[in-house]
Amino acid sequence: MMSVSASSVTQLLFDWQQGDESALKKLTPLIYDELRRIAHRYVQHERNGHTLQTTALVHEAYVRLAGQEKPEWQNRAHFFAVTAQVMRHILIDHARRRRYLKHGGEFRQVSIEEASLMSEERARDLIALDEALDELKNFDPRKSKVVELRYFGGLSLEETAEALEISVMTVRRDWRAAKAWLFRRMNMEQSLEFKLQLATPKHEQPEG
Amino acid sequence: MTPERWQRVEEVLQSALDRPRADRAAFLNEACAGDDELERETNSLVEAYDEARDFFEESAIAQDALVIINSDAQMHPGREIGPYQIIKHIGSGGMGEVYLARDPRLDRLVALKVIRAWLVSDDALLRRFQAEARVASALNHANILTVYEIGQDGEIFFIATEYIDGLTIRERIRAADLTLKDVLEIAGQLLSGLEAAHAAGIIHRDIKPENVIQRHDGVVKILDFGIAKLLEKPSPETTSTTSPIIRTETGVGVMLGTIGYMSPEQVRGLPVDERTDIWSCGVVLYEMLATQRPFDGKTNADTLVTMLEREPEPLFGTRAQTPAELRQIQLVIDKALCKEPAERYQTAAEMRTSLEKIKTELEANKQTGAVAISTQTKVKELRSLAAQTSTSGFRRAIVMTMAALLITVMFAAAFVYRRYRASTIPPVVAPRSYLQMSEAERLAFVEAQEQRISNMMGDRPVKLNNEALRVIKARVDRYAARRNSTSLKPDEENLRDVYARAPEYVPVIARAFAARKIPIVVAVYLPMIESAYRPCYENEIGAKGLFQFLPGTAQRYGVSRAEMCDVNKMAPAAAHYIADRMAELGDDAQSMTLVLLSYNRGENSVRDSLRQLRETDANYERNFWTLFANRSKLDQTFQKESAWYVPQFFAAAIVGENPDAFDLQMPALSSFARDMSEKR
Repeated sequence: MMSVSASSVTQLLFDWQQGDESALKKLTPLIYDELRRIAHRYVQHERNGHTLQTTALVHEAYVRLAGQEKPEWQNRAHFFAVTAQVMRHILIDHARRRRYLKHGGEFRQVSIEEASLMSEERARDLIALDEALDELKNFDPRKSKVVELRYFGGLSLEETAEALEISVMTVRRDWRAAKAWLFRRMNMEQSLEFKLQLATPKHEQPEG
Repeated sequence: MTPERWQRVEEVLQSALDRPRADRAAFLNEACAGDDELERETNSLVEAYDEARDFFEESAIAQDALVIINSDAQMHPGREIGPYQIIKHIGSGGMGEVYLARDPRLDRLVALKVIRAWLVSDDALLRRFQAEARVASALNHANILTVYEIGQDGEIFFIATEYIDGLTIRERIRAADLTLKDVLEIAGQLLSGLEAAHAAGIIHRDIKPENVIQRHDGVVKILDFGIAKLLEKPSPETTSTTSPIIRTETGVGVMLGTIGYMSPEQVRGLPVDERTDIWSCGVVLYEMLATQRPFDGKTNADTLVTMLEREPEPLFGTRAQTPAELRQIQLVIDKALCKEPAERYQTAAEMRTSLEKIKTELEANKQTGAVAISTQTKVKELRSLAAQTSTSGFRRAIVMTMAALLITVMFAAAFVYRRYRASTIPPVVAPRSYLQMSEAERLAFVEAQEQRISNMMGDRPVKLNNEALRVIKARVDRYAARRNSTSLKPDEENLRDVYARAPEYVPVIARAFAARKIPIVVAVYLPMIESAYRPCYENEIGAKGLFQFLPGTAQRYGVSRAEMCDVNKMAPAAAHYIADRMAELGDDAQSMTLVLLSYNRGENSVRDSLRQLRETDANYERNFWTLFANRSKLDQTFQKESAWYVPQFFAAAIVGENPDAFDLQMPALSSFARDMSEKR
């Protein structure tokens, strides 16, 4: 299936890093397939009662794609970055479509696709996270990147550090600050939603 | 936040987080040294950090693995699978996705069905699929979709077939423009395709409107030949769903089909032959004529029982008054739908011949102008034509049709039904001023009206206990008091002012709901007018009021931040927002209460709570009061919310539907929705 050779994957990663956006376009379908494979293996392992670190799977994916047992860290870092980005894109895209999905209609049939859809709650959280990350990027781009790599890219602290060429300690600190800020940002929206009541002047809300 | 400001905030935050939890507050107080704003900011971040705990500690890959696995619908255009170049996604099947693709070798378009590798991990299954697909590809008939190639590209299996630019029979049924001639044509070609397949020893086993497509030039093609057999083994992902695809383990193998179209022997898992396809053709023929399936139930199980045990309601009847051609069609359907295969048409050719004969007769009649029915008669008119000439048999069919509509969970049907009920049920109590009633009279009024409202909403009326009655009455009393400007509380609006907006807003609400085929419940009119469109006022976080949602949400519904106080912009957006949420809850929630609870608490938690309720009352979804009555069984927040919302809705509906009793010189709110639909 792979119509792009391993060496050209490395080249594409390099080109992308150099700012060639068309390289990303060519990479995306490949990464996409890898992500699905990763997800699939993750689920299989889980079913068998094992938990597998996604980070190990992302690794394997890279080795398979770039065809190197001991890949140069730079390529690997690029790969991680693009994987995280594609993953974020896929999920947000899915969440958006989920939110607009219209149910109902005659003879509605529940398909396999629908059955494994994201929950509405999850879709809302993801969209909120996406927006919050964009906002964070405006005043602290590195933290936004850290979250993208760790959360969407499935990387460990160490690998995130490697990918961003910063120390593990810095990743750790970035992560906790970002987590506090994002959690508050997302919650602000949700707690507001929670407070809103239907035609309820404050004094008429349920007692107790 | 500026980068500089954030740098300062983060510095303090990090130092605070480095300290033991107990010391943090004191540290912040000291570190911020009088900078209140900084202290507030860092304090809330520290709190957020504590609350966040394992918030996104598990990677998205792990959390959304299933979503990722199933997301190949987004396969990128331009991507190559085998020799084919994907152009776009055109549909989803049970097993995979269908793409429009180009074959550069022949420069022709193909439909590429891509099968998910993990669904065919069983080698034996895959071999069988390939063997069968090969047989299907050997079939060469004008009414069977031509299979070009079966192939594999890495983990992806694909089938390339001719690309048909046309409409499926499902789409044609929905469009409601089929003529009698169309129906006879389609059925004839369908049978002719099956004839060829059966001759080659192939049984389709999944004939249904979705699997038959009509090209724009009228040629009918049967899709998915033999592929159904691929779908034999349920994948782990699908075992827990309520899919219409049924899988039955049997001695002769695994069966698959679609409930509603499968023959009795197929459902029972008995060996099947070509006569199972005859049955399915009978179902499709019936559905094209009636625009509803002969066997349909509230649940899959109901449908199965109906199919196995009952005869379908006659379409046209066989009485003498019914036009001869319709009687003949009825006979064809009856014969195709015999429970016992031996009593059906034994071959597709036999059934086709019968239909052709009818067609010829109709065409001859047309020339002599003998009857009111011709091949050009629209299917939707057939039944009224039959009704003119037929007797109670047909009328009974209509009544039964209504009943069938009522018991289905189809939104559209419920919508029509509810509106119908709303327009015909007279008030139980002659309108007189609520304000002049005694306490006992008020209770009686509330009780009678509650029954009426429940009826209007299609809910099962419930005998309320005194507690519920009193709660509801208290809410109605509050509404009544709002007729008097001097007794208004600070946040309240005079009811008359709220009502004044009804002609403008009720149609907007009703339309938003109708667009999504959601039954509108009269109980929502008043609360929605009242809260959704309350003039905007800003607080420290932003706009206030339920439907003056957050800037981000509003934006998604096409309202910019600047427009959030513009009632005319917000009104439709709010209605659509609520309607979307209701649509998302789908069959599980027909009541506004549930929507609001889910709105506040997230769909999943609501579902969990409702699962508990289901054990108490199978009709819980449609019954506000079940929610109220069972609230002690629910968790605390849910308890409070249901205790508040349920009576509130009923109170609003009682006031909204009895404006005279509250001295509001206005028609009932539901009448605005009705006027809207009549105008259309």
